[in-house]
Amino acid sequence: MAMAHKRKGAHAPPKSPPRMPPQEPHKKAMRPMRRPVRRTPGWLPAAATIGGIALVVVAFLAIRWATSPPAPAPIDSTHAAEVLSVITSVPTPDLERVASGTATNRLNPTSGPALTGPAGRPLIFYFGAEYCPYCAAERWPMIIALSRFGTFSGLKTTTSSSTDIYPNTPSFTFHGAVYSSQFVEFQAVETTDRNQKALDSPTQAQLALVNRYDKGGSIPFVDFGNRYTLSGATYLPDSLQGMGWQQIAEALQQPDSAQSKAILGSANLVAAAVCKLTSDQPAEVCSGAAIQSIEAKL
Amino acid sequence: MLPALTALASMAGLGVSLYLTIVHYSAIPLVCTTSGAVNCEVVLSSGYAVIAGSALPTAAAGIVWFLVSGALAIGQWTGRSSRLITRLQVAWSALGLLTVLFLVFVEIVILGAICLWCTAAHVFVLVTFLLAITMWQSAPAQEGS
Repeated sequence: MAMAHKRKGAHAPPKSPPRMPPQEPHKKAMRPMRRPVRRTPGWLPAAATIGGIALVVVAFLAIRWATSPPAPAPIDSTHAAEVLSVITSVPTPDLERVASGTATNRLNPTSGPALTGPAGRPLIFYFGAEYCPYCAAERWPMIIALSRFGTFSGLKTTTSSSTDIYPNTPSFTFHGAVYSSQFVEFQAVETTDRNQKALDSPTQAQLALVNRYDKGGSIPFVDFGNRYTLSGATYLPDSLQGMGWQQIAEALQQPDSAQSKAILGSANLVAAAVCKLTSDQPAEVCSGAAIQSIEAKL
Repeated sequence: MLPALTALASMAGLGVSLYLTIVHYSAIPLVCTTSGAVNCEVVLSSGYAVIAGSALPTAAAGIVWFLVSGALAIGQWTGRSSRLITRLQVAWSALGLLTVLFLVFVEIVILGAICLWCTAAHVFVLVTFLLAITMWQSAPAQEGS
């Protein structure tokens, strides 16, 4: 009993007034749930919690900074041409083998007047920016797919922003590039460079397409002749992190690599959408089992 | 006053979790920026946006968490078994805060992107925890019980 009383005393003031009658055992007295620490201000636990969380977040940021991959080494024009040669002539069997790979089908069927270019052929309109890592990722499959229907010239290397998510993602820019094809037409707008300085300005007609079909404001945005639109990338740029252009080109020559499954799979999605515009022309591209299978799902 | 604030924070968190769950199951575009370090799309399209081994969105777990937290707050408000409920609220909000720290780790370190809506829900969990420990410190208890 004395022991129990002593324990209770540990929570009570050290000296009880001597004249205070002892409490009856069954009578419940109110006391703080925790031992009061009078020298500890009431706000301290809350402040300590906030401070602790702030420290943890700073530690997370430091870990992220320390583990971010370095920017890829610059590539000279000769090697860039070699990389372009690889990605503009991916063997059909490799593409067939990958099929849709690990690409996410983000193609949305749209209704609207058929979109055609100045020459009257179905128009594919790309809207993006060089700083944007998703645009950087999506240009690889775009170039691979469109190169099956025509020819690019003037493609130059670029990387996404060094300060954005998936920093320094290697890619090629559509700014200043020219595309020619007997099946489709292609227009591209890269609104800013990798440092977010203004680059291309969309025409009123191009802006109207973006406003109408890209409600969420995601880039890259691609309009396939107003029959399908694509908002965002069909694969995440993380599979390109820490890689240079040549490494990516080498990976694309191995159909089982993660990069092939993502990029070639995405290229097949893009090609299938283009085949829908061209009524499956040319046959050597559109009659493949992989393209036909994707087309059936669009 | 503090239980009322906790209930309010729980309701706000519940609203955010409901919104994210609805967006997950429907084609409604999420109101959030999709470029830069603040990018809800990156976070909500990642594998961490669903509860491991299931197709349930993580936001659905948020709904359950905020419902329980709100119920505990109402229990405190009405004064029923407040000592036990206060302890439960502290434990529940500590569990929530640990989960939030894990999700923030995923966002910053693994994905390198922050989801603003998720952050709003995380803030409501933090507020609930702060209110819970404040109540725990100041709440009276019945001796001998």
